[in-house]
Amino acid sequence: MNSIDLSQPTRQSPRGLILIFLFSAQKFIRAFWPIVLVLVFQNEIFRNNRTILIAVLILMILLIIHSILFYLNFFFYLEDDEFILKKGYLRKQTLSIPFDRIQSVNTKQNLIQQLLNVVTLEIDTAGTAAKELKIHALDASVSNELQEQLQAVKKHSQSNDEANSQNQETIKEELLMQLSPTDLLKIGISQNHIRAGLIILAFGLQIFNQVQDVFEEKAEEYSSEFIEFMSNSNLALVTFMVIFFLLVSIVFSLLRTVLKYFDFKLLKRPETYRIESGLFNKRNVIIPHQKVQELNWETGPIKKIFGIYHLVFKQAVSGQNRQQRQQLVDAPGCLAKHLEKLKYDLFGEDQLSNVPRIYSNSFYFRRLWIMFGWIPVLLATPFFYSEMIFWISAPLWLLASAGYSYLIIKKRYFRMSNNQIRISKGAISHKWEQMELHKIQAVEFKQTIFQKRRKLASLDLMNASGTITIPYIEEKLAKQIYNYLLYHTEISKEGWM
Amino acid sequence: MENFTNAVLIPENLPEVEPETFTGLNRKYLIVLFVRILIIFLLLAGGMTAYIIFAEQTPSWSILIPIAAAVLLIIIFISVVTWLGFPKKGYLVREKDVSFQRGLITYMVTSVPLNRIQHVEVNQGILAKMLGLSSVNIYTAGGTSSDLSIPGLTENEALKLKAFLSGKISGHE
Repeated sequence: MNSIDLSQPTRQSPRGLILIFLFSAQKFIRAFWPIVLVLVFQNEIFRNNRTILIAVLILMILLIIHSILFYLNFFFYLEDDEFILKKGYLRKQTLSIPFDRIQSVNTKQNLIQQLLNVVTLEIDTAGTAAKELKIHALDASVSNELQEQLQAVKKHSQSNDEANSQNQETIKEELLMQLSPTDLLKIGISQNHIRAGLIILAFGLQIFNQVQDVFEEKAEEYSSEFIEFMSNSNLALVTFMVIFFLLVSIVFSLLRTVLKYFDFKLLKRPETYRIESGLFNKRNVIIPHQKVQELNWETGPIKKIFGIYHLVFKQAVSGQNRQQRQQLVDAPGCLAKHLEKLKYDLFGEDQLSNVPRIYSNSFYFRRLWIMFGWIPVLLATPFFYSEMIFWISAPLWLLASAGYSYLIIKKRYFRMSNNQIRISKGAISHKWEQMELHKIQAVEFKQTIFQKRRKLASLDLMNASGTITIPYIEEKLAKQIYNYLLYHTEISKEGWM
Repeated sequence: MENFTNAVLIPENLPEVEPETFTGLNRKYLIVLFVRILIIFLLLAGGMTAYIIFAEQTPSWSILIPIAAAVLLIIIFISVVTWLGFPKKGYLVREKDVSFQRGLITYMVTSVPLNRIQHVEVNQGILAKMLGLSSVNIYTAGGTSSDLSIPGLTENEALKLKAFLSGKISGHE
């Protein structure tokens, strides 16, 4: 029997008042800090400590009043198959969303929210222009009740069974995977350190130059042998810096991993997946199977040693929020068996593993090598051609970039059946992207004049979560696939979301 | 190398997307494109002039002339590419999809099946309005990369196209 009746207007949790207050304070500070600064430093009146104190007090009182008014005028309820939210005390707004436009309901909790036992509730709606609904200080039990009711109502909306939406239906949930602290450690170590390290290194080099200047100045003051050695021996200093920053990046990766994936759980329900994870920022995301446009998974040299994959469920999201929203639905540390199970859930029996691979043409190597190797070297030549070290490092760079380009084309292939496609890509890490063909929104055929001479072309397959690219394949094949994809999408009766 | 058609069953004689069947854009649209280039040129020239006037020491001619030459070359290059690339632009409306092609050095054609169009808009910039031109924007769920923008249509053509596509969208719902 429900103790929480959501057909009655329900407010946020009273404990959430603190949150509302903090949030408003933050917004105020963000908006007005330049003005405050100017006032304090320019105006004589404001120099007085007492005036500042009074001003701050008035501000706080105003914020408290605003928070209370906001809290009192913010409520929601369920009525007539719609979720209705009313908010605002000066400008009253009513937002209503029909249940069948609700895709999923997700929750997040930052540290303060966890302490107060409130959650941020996000309601995802279908459609690209729709704004999602967010409620920031919802009592945790109310949130659970709301989620279950919305879930139950969605399931029975077809059968029009009102009685069921009153029942406390225990939604059958199956734990697919859970990450232990050891798993987190493995994941943290196998993250892509090189990229993070390079970024830190780039900044580090700036700092290094400053440090070097300082050292040289000091070396004159203290003619200590060590300092002279360090400042003169650039190699030693550089090596030291490189190792230091790599270590820092590894530590950061580990920290980030632990915070983001603490107590990670992936659960399976009849029509959806649920992901729960995080330490200071807890997230609870529901992914309806239908909304998944693509499944991406990735492994790398270190990940392979641990036998783990990093999975991402690519969902339909509107363009503006794409980057940040897609951060939420990934599953690291998956074993092969998890991957197979998820692929089976989303794509059915494996159609693709027996289809032969079609590799990108070897001409693609040339283009990659030019892009990664020759162009940077040619751009650098006018600046460094007088340095001896340039003429040693330039060929080395060309060699390294050739190797890198080779790694890329070895992994660049795709497999396609009547209904699905899977592409493979990556240089050091290996990534796969799999999609059902009817999820395509548009296709693009591209051909540079260099490609035209060799009868090659590239294809872009666009879906609601992003683009899958097939580069440098035979022109004839590209056209065939292009026409087939259009045909397949146009006759398809299946919904893409 | 395995033959693709052995692995996958493709229906024979699929309708093809042939560049020759596309309808070109209205010639007046070239004016819009060149005005844009002119604006860029004016901005660059203006910037350079301002720099010369306000710099503490007038840079020597040996610096100015190469920069001016470079700017001029860039503008000429863009203009030539625009002029030659214009005939390559076109659109094609078939029973089940709409396509747009473009590109001189890189040829690109994008097709959107009618059953994937989210909504259609007709837009007119200031200059386009003066010339009696409009553009039709076709929005998809795939984001900006798969949205189509067909410029250089007369106002009439644009409205007719919009009406046709809108009719097709509502037919699918």
